[in-house]
Amino acid sequence: MNMKLTKLWTTFSRWIIVIGAIFFALFPVYWMVKISLVGIAEWTPAETLWLPQKITWYNWAALFIPRGTLMEMGWFPGLMESEMVSTTATHAVLNSLTMALGGTAIAVAIGTLAAYSMSRYRAGGNFLPYLFLTFRMLPPMAIIVPIVIWYSTLHLFDNRIGIMLLYGLFPVPFVIWLMRSFFDEIPKEIDEAAIMDGCTPLASFYKVILPLTRAGVAVTALFIFILDWSDLLVAITLTRVRAVTVTVQLGLYQAEVGSLYGVMAALGIFAIIPTLIFGLAIQRYLVRGFTFGAIKG
Amino acid sequence: MNPEKLSLALLLPLQIVMNSVALLPFALAWYVGFTDWTPTTVSNFWEANFVGPSNFITYLSDAFFGEAVLRTLFIVAVVVPVEFALGFMLAYVFSGEFRGKKIATTIVLVPMMVVPAVGGYMFYLIFLESGPVNGFLKFVLGEQAGMAFLNYPATALMAIMLADIWQWTPFIFLIMVSSFLSLPQDPINAAYVLGASRGYTFRHVVLPMLKRPMIIALILRGIEALKIFDGVYIMTRGGPGTSTQTISMYLYEWGFKYFRYGYVTSESLTILIVLAIAGWYLVKPLRGE
Repeated sequence: MNMKLTKLWTTFSRWIIVIGAIFFALFPVYWMVKISLVGIAEWTPAETLWLPQKITWYNWAALFIPRGTLMEMGWFPGLMESEMVSTTATHAVLNSLTMALGGTAIAVAIGTLAAYSMSRYRAGGNFLPYLFLTFRMLPPMAIIVPIVIWYSTLHLFDNRIGIMLLYGLFPVPFVIWLMRSFFDEIPKEIDEAAIMDGCTPLASFYKVILPLTRAGVAVTALFIFILDWSDLLVAITLTRVRAVTVTVQLGLYQAEVGSLYGVMAALGIFAIIPTLIFGLAIQRYLVRGFTFGAIKG
Repeated sequence: MNPEKLSLALLLPLQIVMNSVALLPFALAWYVGFTDWTPTTVSNFWEANFVGPSNFITYLSDAFFGEAVLRTLFIVAVVVPVEFALGFMLAYVFSGEFRGKKIATTIVLVPMMVVPAVGGYMFYLIFLESGPVNGFLKFVLGEQAGMAFLNYPATALMAIMLADIWQWTPFIFLIMVSSFLSLPQDPINAAYVLGASRGYTFRHVVLPMLKRPMIIALILRGIEALKIFDGVYIMTRGGPGTSTQTISMYLYEWGFKYFRYGYVTSESLTILIVLAIAGWYLVKPLRGE
């Protein structure tokens, strides 16, 4: 009887914890989805509204429609044209996409080459990989201050190429450590066999080893894309007009007068769709990613 | 190409990018940090006055800087243990089998896949006067309850910490649950066979085997929490006043709102050096068994 009760209690408390965790994880997401689907009257009502009263797509449409046209639509009664954001989100989305993709390509390329060198030739011994790990521990805001000064001097401020280079450099420690862990899993005998068959060391890398780690490269690329796409810090300090990203645009809707809560929420949902999809796609490798390969999962 | 040369050639592209966008600015910073440069008065750094180490002395008595450092340490000291406790407990529950575990695991991991700035906005909405927290408080305590949480220093800081806890508890959970699942079962079964209780086995067999992942999780989370910026920027911009200003937020304000380039450069250099030294020792547990 006592055993049975204990077991019942364990099952019960487990369900409480699991359901509580699911609620805690999803409620903020639900709330933002809700705000993104309601009109201006329900953004900040006097009484808390737990469910959307009237669902509209205005907020989503407003992301991509110029403010002049928006005023004519009359979707946001009570808002002045000057309270609207002057640029649509289209520009920011395209910027985020190109800079995150470009940054990912750069990071994966230069990081994979370096990781191969460190894995197979032990380049830099133990020191070099740990140096890069230590770099990643530094606060990016302290790193960005000198870079902003440097970029302003070179007229690279608010420049997409300049930001792409940073998106290519900042995540490199992750690439090095992830790719190193993937390379280390390939037995050295395979390299030796390739060399025996007459491959040069370079050819054995790109003809034999690299194809074997295709999955590893793909996982690393998705992981880096998530990091680059999520960036606020680099973009907020180095962009003004031309190179603004989705995260910077998000802050634009948060004006001093009359924040565009619903439109901002719509952009927020838009911004997390790729990270959620890619994150779930590489769920099995997230532990390895976030712990720099220290825990394989 | 011989292996010796190849190993260096493979490092070359990384070296070029790093030198051009990180190392050169870092070298330049050693000059700028000793000037009084603000781009609003003179447009180029070489026209600024060289003031020697005075920046490094000034910030030591800068109350805003000191408060930002202490506030950041306070945030780390609160959120990291809370995230660890919650994440560990959840991982323990998820180390057993139950129906729907796979989908539940995925859902619990959702917050850490949310863009941090967006996560900050979610909590901004939640703590609005018309938000669900007030709705709940009014429901429980009556109409007079409820407040604009982000307009008061203490509650604003609490909201920021809660957003961080929401976003990063899954990080601890993820590390701990995969560590629980990869535990060797033999020693645990052996302990049960020898008559050890569940609690005893957990304390003396399971916990020692989890020491390394626990330390890694705490260190990585602690270091990340020190950098906290995105959520603060979206939720409060460091306000009201400077009451939620963290180190990163402080540097942002003084660098890119007041344009005290020389001054924040000197602070940045100090922070980088201190954390580089600390980081070098802190990453040691990641170096394998």
